[in-house]
Amino acid sequence: MSLLTIKNLNARVEDKEILKGFNLTVNPGEVHAIMGPNGSGKSTLASVLAGNESYEVTGGEVDFDGKNLLDMAPEERAREGLFLAFQYPIEIPGVSNVNFMRSAVAEIRKHRGLEPLDAKDFLALMKEKKELVELSGNLAGRSVNEGFSGGEKKRNEIFQMAMLDPKLAILDETDSGLDIDALRIVASGVNKLKTKDNAFIVITHYQRLLDHIVPDFVHVLYNGKIVRSGTKELALELEEKGYDWIKEELAEA
Amino acid sequence: MSEIATKSILTELVSGVEGQVASCKLSQEAEAFLAKTGIPSKRHENWKYTNIKRLFDNGLTVVNSAYSVHTSELNLANTISIGLTNDAVTNKLPTINGVDVFMADGKTELLGSTGIHQKEELAALNTALFQNALVIRVKKGTELSSTILLNQRVELEANSFANSRVLIIVEDGASAKLVHHFHGTKNSDSSLLNHVTEVFVGQNARLELNYVQEIGEGNLMTTTEVECQRDSNFTTNCIQLSGKLLRNNLNIRLKGENIETHLNGFYMLNGKELFDNHTHVDHLEPHCESNEIYRGILAGNSTGVFNGKVFVHRDAQKTNGYQSNNNILLSDDATMNSKPELEIYADDVRCSHGSTTGQLDEEAVFYLRTRGLDEFGATALLLSAFASDVLNAISSEELRTILEQKIQDKLKGMRA
Repeated sequence: MSLLTIKNLNARVEDKEILKGFNLTVNPGEVHAIMGPNGSGKSTLASVLAGNESYEVTGGEVDFDGKNLLDMAPEERAREGLFLAFQYPIEIPGVSNVNFMRSAVAEIRKHRGLEPLDAKDFLALMKEKKELVELSGNLAGRSVNEGFSGGEKKRNEIFQMAMLDPKLAILDETDSGLDIDALRIVASGVNKLKTKDNAFIVITHYQRLLDHIVPDFVHVLYNGKIVRSGTKELALELEEKGYDWIKEELAEA
Repeated sequence: MSEIATKSILTELVSGVEGQVASCKLSQEAEAFLAKTGIPSKRHENWKYTNIKRLFDNGLTVVNSAYSVHTSELNLANTISIGLTNDAVTNKLPTINGVDVFMADGKTELLGSTGIHQKEELAALNTALFQNALVIRVKKGTELSSTILLNQRVELEANSFANSRVLIIVEDGASAKLVHHFHGTKNSDSSLLNHVTEVFVGQNARLELNYVQEIGEGNLMTTTEVECQRDSNFTTNCIQLSGKLLRNNLNIRLKGENIETHLNGFYMLNGKELFDNHTHVDHLEPHCESNEIYRGILAGNSTGVFNGKVFVHRDAQKTNGYQSNNNILLSDDATMNSKPELEIYADDVRCSHGSTTGQLDEEAVFYLRTRGLDEFGATALLLSAFASDVLNAISSEELRTILEQKIQDKLKGMRA
């Protein structure tokens, strides 16, 4: 059974239609890359799937692991195993990473019918996952993302993903603006977390990330829907030729 | 002014004055001041949003309470507790090494020496009417390791008016921590507790004075008048949790060089509550620092008032003055009136002030929800973070934890 099935999804923000009949199926164990020019609807897709109420879904269906995703509140989606790595992670002064993660892990474990972790096991989990993304030792006490560099914020997203162990993770331009070292750390974190049971949707502008996280499928999103799908060779082609040839082809059609 | 004329001002303002007034210089001065001012109405700049006169117009009768034994609701270790009921103090005062604890009336020259009874109307009324003040004198060089808890239960019936009074003296080189807890759940909304604390912090002395105010439906007015001498450190934290009307006047005079003072407040309002904090810091001498952070969360139809003034006098060069007031409104019907003020007459100072009033950061709430926290959990986490800058100024972790719990409890009530 597929993990995520999106059928004819339409969504708008304020009065602007952004997604116009978006379709996608993701199976466990797969990595899908979604590429596309600015304004094509990539981040809208991520926001809509995570449950951001600024976006209005005007049509279509989303099935997530047998359940109607669009009926769920953002926290229910998270508890069911959906994770969004934000393009622009939010700074939350005064809330420490450790308190934040303790609350989040407790909610998710409760939902899965697991016993709460005791303090020792929780800290051990923090330590293990922190090392995965090479975050420095004093992360726990620091306020969430406050004063973090761009790279640290993105690594913190991957760290949170590792802590919450989702079935489906959506990475919204996690690579944008990263130097090569940070990119390598982020990618290797993702690769270590990848199993045959979970799946990733990697939204990106740049083919560079896909050298490190190798996708099973590459989709081109343009004007609110997928206009082309292929394998990783499609990403290379896009890198070389840009998006204009696709736009031209569509204009001719 | 004749004695008859001045007496009449008290009987004009409140009932039950007969036999209350000790005729001494202090009370005469207070009455003379009141005869000129009366009780301030909303036309008075300092009382623009808080109608205390209405309580007087509605009728208040002076009461003298009897002390009734009650245990503290703040379960703090290593604490010496002194009980009060309304204006009455327990007759079992504790014996503390290096500290004098005793009762005094208006004839004691220690009382009123800040001059507050000739500056503020409600403090003047308190001075004319209080029977016995609790005096705590921490003697020279005493470093008190225990915290002194003033456990004041407020239980006032309709139209009752009580006047309680405390004097705290921390002598040169001494240090102390106090928690003054005003609490009560059975107060009439037509009653008033009018409290005055005078504070003297000696040279190189330290004092942390924490207020916790939760009096249900009642009305509470406090005046805290503080004088600090050189090289001293005075911190005050005020946590306001419930009351129909809570008004705090806090005045701090920095009378020597190299004084550090911190004023922090956190208030949480719901329903029709009105909490009002007026603070005034006088920088009189060079090289002093004042830090002020007041923060609040307002829900329901509540109204908050913050008026903070930092006054840097001409001689107070090299002053560092920092003041901020931040508010989160959880309801469209809640109102915050914030007025930070700086008045500077010295030319070599560093001062800043700011005020923000807004809603909870919706993006942050969403971010937390995408990690599995529900809306209430996310809100509670953000609000407790907002409060933490103030709460962290309280040195007792135990007290902080209790207050955090009280804040969470009130928040849960707001959701209902």
